[in-house]
Amino acid sequence: MAEIKVENLHKEFGIGDDRVVALEKVNMEVSGHVFVSIVGPSGCGKSTLLNILSGIETPSSGTVTITQDNRDAEPGYVFQAARLLPWRTVLDNLLFVQKDRSEETRARCQKYLDMVQLGDKVDKYPGELSGGMQQRVGIARAFSIEPDVLFMDEPFSHLDAITARTLRRELHEMWRQTRKTVLFVTHDVGEAVELSNRILVFAKGGRLEDDLQIDLPFPRDPAEEEVAVAKAQVLRKFEELDLVAS
Amino acid sequence: MTTVVAKPPSPSRGVMRVLKSPLTARILFPFAVLGVWYLIYYTIDSRIFPTPQQVLVFMWEEVTLTSGVRYGSVVSNLFGMFAISLARLTVGFFIALGIGTVIGLAMGLSKSVDAFFHDWVMAILAMPALVWALFLGLAFGFGHEAPVLTVILSGIPFVIINVREGVRNTPKELFDMARAFDVPQNKITRHVLLPALLPFFFAAIRYAYAIGWKGLVIAEVFGSDRGMGWTIKFWYDAHRAHGVIGYALFFIIFALALEKLVFDRLADRAFRWRPKIDAVEMAEGDFGAVRSEAFLLTESQEVGDGVALTSMEGESRDG
Repeated sequence: MAEIKVENLHKEFGIGDDRVVALEKVNMEVSGHVFVSIVGPSGCGKSTLLNILSGIETPSSGTVTITQDNRDAEPGYVFQAARLLPWRTVLDNLLFVQKDRSEETRARCQKYLDMVQLGDKVDKYPGELSGGMQQRVGIARAFSIEPDVLFMDEPFSHLDAITARTLRRELHEMWRQTRKTVLFVTHDVGEAVELSNRILVFAKGGRLEDDLQIDLPFPRDPAEEEVAVAKAQVLRKFEELDLVAS
Repeated sequence: MTTVVAKPPSPSRGVMRVLKSPLTARILFPFAVLGVWYLIYYTIDSRIFPTPQQVLVFMWEEVTLTSGVRYGSVVSNLFGMFAISLARLTVGFFIALGIGTVIGLAMGLSKSVDAFFHDWVMAILAMPALVWALFLGLAFGFGHEAPVLTVILSGIPFVIINVREGVRNTPKELFDMARAFDVPQNKITRHVLLPALLPFFFAAIRYAYAIGWKGLVIAEVFGSDRGMGWTIKFWYDAHRAHGVIGYALFFIIFALALEKLVFDRLADRAFRWRPKIDAVEMAEGDFGAVRSEAFLLTESQEVGDGVALTSMEGESRDG
């Protein structure tokens, strides 16, 4: 079982008068087959948190441990933009992040491309694909290393509403099938309510303000009353915490 | 209710379409040039100014070695002279490419190295090839040194600037992605850094070659006793305009052929991954040396003393 433990995590940028606190003494724990969304206004440090978890940035103080059955867990990432190598084909983009290029690895990459409905596009270059397809490749790439935990940084924010909705469903289905631990950063409360078991609410200044459980059955249709009510409740929470952009 | 019916294309509109097409315009250009040529020939009534036929006959005789003119040496024909010039160009080109790449990389990676070289690169860039040719001719005499050094000095700033821009424009978000996925550093270098630099390196090669080729001819006119440039001057001294124009045409034909047959093909192979552009853009983009892979530095005067930034293609399609 994958376990993410964050203790007293603190991150500052700049020095002196230019000092900006991105994360302030954050403590959190996430474990098991859960889909956790991190929600908050822009500049609340949610992307910084993900960058620290993924090792792109280092914390100013505090500790982060990501384990799978008491060993170091292997994480996978989906970024805001697909971040594909434009000079590599779809399949080669997946192979680029693999440890080896064995037949078994290729078959695994093919399997995840099939899962995101791109099984017939393996030889295309990213420039020949639409934005939605590129992001699907990004998702397949993250799953293809069969990670213990998955970090996603607003993966659908660049896409049009309809494509985003389709991809959300596909992602959720993959999460259900593969039983990964997912940490999903978003600024879209509706998206968070639709996808998550749990929502961590961050406020400006990088404080973890609230930890909400959403106990509704999956799949959730945003048009359903229960889902809409849950979204309204979360938004009300935002207002109470004064997080809504003024 | 309104009904919109598509009109069948009338034959006259089809003719107009052909007349207005970029291809027709391109084919029309040489004819326009010929027209102007004849116009000048019949207006100025000069015994020196040649007709196109005279030039073509001259070029044919040079190619078949039947012109009857002997310069007193076995190598003193079109092919011998050409071989000398080409050898000088090749040596100078590769030296410019080698040194320029190293300096460009260092300038892109380090701010202090950039500060150290910056003004001098600009100074070399601003120096007309003519001045190099005259100065180096005086310094080294009529050997290989002046032409080769002129090729190096006129080409190297373009290599340095393009390589430096390539390093500065490497896609940080792709490096972050690779690091997040724990991809080993040598794999990142091979699959992310080098391909990202390639378009800029191609631009460097094209410019070093084109500018170097021009510099070489000027150097051979003023600082050499053989080569293509010297031959042009030979015909100039002999007051044979058809010789001057004929050799200038050889020079242009060679430059275009290398551009089309070597550089364009290499680029097509290296940049297969680029999304196909539409037909109109292709027709325009296909215009010989005007096209560049990444960063265009064009010269505004014939000897290359002006620099203009004309285009910067977005290399990274990633937000």
